[in-house]
Amino acid sequence: MAARLLLRSAVRAAVTRRASPAVALTRGMAAGGIPTDEEQATGLEKKIMNAMKAGSDPFNMLKPKEYAGSKSDPHLVPSITNKRIVGCVCEEDNTAVVWFWLHEGEAQRCPSCGSHYKLVPHELPH
Amino acid sequence: MAHQAHAYHMVDPSPWPLTGAIAALLMTSGLAIWFHFHSTVLMTLGLILLLLTMYQWWRDIIREGTFQGHHTPPVQKGLRYGMILFITSEVFFFLGFFWAFYHSSLAPTPELGGCWPPTGITPLDPFEVPLLNTAVLLASGVTVTWAHHSIMEGERKQAIQSLTLTILLGLYFTALQATEYYEAPFTIADGVYGSTFFVATGFHGLHVIIGSTFLAVCLLRQVQYHFTSEHHFGFEAAAWYWHFVDVVWLFLYVSIYWWGS
Repeated sequence: MAARLLLRSAVRAAVTRRASPAVALTRGMAAGGIPTDEEQATGLEKKIMNAMKAGSDPFNMLKPKEYAGSKSDPHLVPSITNKRIVGCVCEEDNTAVVWFWLHEGEAQRCPSCGSHYKLVPHELPH
Repeated sequence: MAHQAHAYHMVDPSPWPLTGAIAALLMTSGLAIWFHFHSTVLMTLGLILLLLTMYQWWRDIIREGTFQGHHTPPVQKGLRYGMILFITSEVFFFLGFFWAFYHSSLAPTPELGGCWPPTGITPLDPFEVPLLNTAVLLASGVTVTWAHHSIMEGERKQAIQSLTLTILLGLYFTALQATEYYEAPFTIADGVYGSTFFVATGFHGLHVIIGSTFLAVCLLRQVQYHFTSEHHFGFEAAAWYWHFVDVVWLFLYVSIYWWGS
């Protein structure tokens, strides 16, 4: 009885093993067998990966771009709503930061040094 | 839609820090109870709670990173800093024991016979098993680097083979060291020589076991396709720890086994 069961399971195992090589080879990667981030990244990591590839930085991971702060080249401030707080360090090493709300629309000027700031609304990836 | 405008990971509330703290309390007070009242119940309970905490906490981290994608580049950078700082703290831990060794061995007291090794101590021959141990750990450093390159190049079979080899070498070291301990002609109670030898090499051995376990977890994860060719920080952390263990051994070998004989 046990021998018959053993034989049956051995046959089943022999049959199924033939099916698995096909599955392993198609397991998501070209040759080696280890997936890439492209294939396997998920969640926020994937969103960020795709955004970076498209050249955008929606989560402000990189250093902000430098602008002259003039009327023709204002500091561009990204925002997910229609206003954002700006802290202007007017001159290098200033210890008093000038804080103000920047609203969408025309560029505003820092009340202390007069640099121009413009809100740039953008959407978070979803 | 995204719920956060930043790339960091605000973790969900978790009970494991609390259970870990309780485990630490039970283990320490349990140790005192064992010493004074001959009962190991409390300490054992603490140990079990510690193991459960470690298993569940790290399982949750794997879930958050690999399965939920919370380990974005800034988060990974933080994890890297964390591992480096932790290993640095371990370096200082071992530095203390090396300090103790050199304090006692550079100016041996009259009680020891004014010499090092102290009178009556027959040190282990550094060119026998200790040299083999050195070769074993150095080889394991090579195999773990091989494993890393295999992962980066997408070679699954090689990654599994080299990682397995690394773990086997680690286990071989542990086995060799265990027999050395059993066969040694001196014990931990043999003056300052015994104390410095067994405390320093003993803590090192514990770290080899911890490192081997970490690598074994990485092997299980690699087999289950957790790592990608670009993102495999769990493995990198294990490899850094393993290299640290190797370097500590090299210092132990040169200082205690070789110079100290």
